[in-house]
Amino acid sequence: MDSLSYSLRVIWACAKKDIRTALTERLFTIVGLFVPVTVLILMSLFAISGGKAPTAVVMLDQGPYAQAFYQSMDHAHSFILEQTSTTEAARQLSAGEIVAVVTIPADFDSGLRQNQPVSINVAINNLNTDFTNDIRRAIPLSITSFYASSFPNLVNITTHEVDAYPQDTDYIPYLAVSILVIALMIGGLLQSGPASAKEWESHTIKELLLSPASRWAITTGKMLGSILIGLGSAIVVVIVLIFIVGIQPAHWLELIGYTLLCLIIFNSIGVLFGTLIKQRMPVIALSMGTALPLFFISGAFGPISFQTPIIQWMAPLSPAYYLIVLFQHSFHNFYLNTLSMGANTLILIVFALVIIGLETLALNRSVLSH
Amino acid sequence: MTTLNDKAIDIFHLVKRFGKFVALDDLSFTVTTGEIFGLLGPNGSGKTTTINIISGLSAPTSGQVHVMGYDLRTHSRKVLQLLGSVPQETALYEELTAWANLDFHAELFGVPLKDKKARIEAMLELVQLSDRKNSPVSTFSGGMKRRLALARALLHDPQLIYLDEPTLGVDVQSRHAIWEYILNLRKQGKTVLITTNYLEEAQALCDRIAILDHGRLAALDTPDHLRQVSGAGVVEIETAQPTQKVENLRRLAGVTSIEQNGNQLKIAIQSDGRVVPQIIGVITQESEILKFTVREPTLDDVFLRLTGTALRD
Repeated sequence: MDSLSYSLRVIWACAKKDIRTALTERLFTIVGLFVPVTVLILMSLFAISGGKAPTAVVMLDQGPYAQAFYQSMDHAHSFILEQTSTTEAARQLSAGEIVAVVTIPADFDSGLRQNQPVSINVAINNLNTDFTNDIRRAIPLSITSFYASSFPNLVNITTHEVDAYPQDTDYIPYLAVSILVIALMIGGLLQSGPASAKEWESHTIKELLLSPASRWAITTGKMLGSILIGLGSAIVVVIVLIFIVGIQPAHWLELIGYTLLCLIIFNSIGVLFGTLIKQRMPVIALSMGTALPLFFISGAFGPISFQTPIIQWMAPLSPAYYLIVLFQHSFHNFYLNTLSMGANTLILIVFALVIIGLETLALNRSVLSH
Repeated sequence: MTTLNDKAIDIFHLVKRFGKFVALDDLSFTVTTGEIFGLLGPNGSGKTTTINIISGLSAPTSGQVHVMGYDLRTHSRKVLQLLGSVPQETALYEELTAWANLDFHAELFGVPLKDKKARIEAMLELVQLSDRKNSPVSTFSGGMKRRLALARALLHDPQLIYLDEPTLGVDVQSRHAIWEYILNLRKQGKTVLITTNYLEEAQALCDRIAILDHGRLAALDTPDHLRQVSGAGVVEIETAQPTQKVENLRRLAGVTSIEQNGNQLKIAIQSDGRVVPQIIGVITQESEILKFTVREPTLDDVFLRLTGTALRD
């Protein structure tokens, strides 16, 4: 038989077999399908909750200056504000429900009109310095903003901003794209790794190793099967991004291409883990243990050039770094590194080929337990 | 006389080391085309290593292996094409149906598409599983799984079939059915290599048997010859007290070997059994005989004599 057509038959047979096997384990498949969505939702919630400090404002003065100051705080993007009474604010603070209580005094308006000093009381729950410092930075910022809007003649310094991009990108839409990469990464590793390890646990690897089919065709087929299942996950995650998070891809074709590349790379790594470790539980643990550090060193939270030198040195070693760069471009139309789109893509293709090569080598060198 | 073309498997000075452990120590033997060949040995004797090397799953440290005339080092893919395997664990995909398992195997072995359906149907018919073709393998009994694994091994029409413990854990009815299939393979001119722990299975099926011990060939012959070499008969005696006359018995002409286990004696004897009255005479000098049996030697006796252990130990 023609070698190429035989290899294609083997690839498709392995993929089809893995899909059929996965579909018989419905719970595992459902979990595998929704793990990326769960990761996306959980990390988005984490990002949303971590960005702003819940703060109570006690308005003892309802005058126009007091209202303007409240608006300045609201525009500081650092608080989740709620107006409440002195008693309720004290209760919320002692119960740990809020980070701070800002009390606008009864003489706020009159004091300002008479050019008298006004003292704003700020009570802070300082058990977490991250939030505490947010409050300490944001209150003076709100005072400056208030003066700039209410007494512009008193503020002589102004800024003239020149933007690198025509639109701002909020933190959540930026982070959501990075989270898409980790979601596909975890989904890919968890689909393909345990599926490969299961062949060893159930001894069905003998059926594969005792066949004359080439090892690369077998590994490619296994990868293809998990990629096709992973595509289901990817579609669900992208739908969530578009319809729930509310971000639209700027380049659809890029998004489709990079999604496939992402699935190829991380499903290959999963197959490699499964082939080397041969047991499902350790493969799952290793997959999770690999995905999270890769995510944190790959510029998920901001451009890698803004990070510490050690992270800047480590990030290019991870395929997740290049994927985040390319996915950000496909959604937001900006580049996070100085490489061209082609160079980023080429590096990822080399990653994929090396991992597929390692998989084939691992399967070639595999012998049955003795 | 065996010619080159008659050799299904030709193993020549095969050595396999795992670090300092020598799993196969200068092993040489030949399996003739069309025969059922049994590979026996206690655990750790080198059976699995030998099979793994023949299957291309493990590389020898030194020595040569030819399968159907092909050098395994240079033609391992060709050898795998000619080999049909029934592993001990069956290696079936339990979640898939019988048909899906065979279909997958057909694709892996490149069975021509135009023949595939007919071949699968024929194999299912052969092992009498046609009515269960759409059932998941997980619903099959142990015997049905073995039969399906055999059907799968035969699907690509291999010249050499290897069966690892083909009837392990199956009921008596299924065992005889599987024996029947194996014997039919010989009629079709196929070569069959079997490893088994059931000596009655080896006796019933095998044309020749190789017994491995510590990675070496301890014996290679037909089952009948092996039994003859072991002696013409076995005398089993149970005495009231353990006898002290073992050395006296050993000196009797016609006694091949003696095993004593408490008040049980197993004595291998040669020729026509004229030594039996002398044995009785020696023993009754010191003890009463409670039980006395004379029987033909079995392969168990042969195995025990050669390896010093029972096969299922």
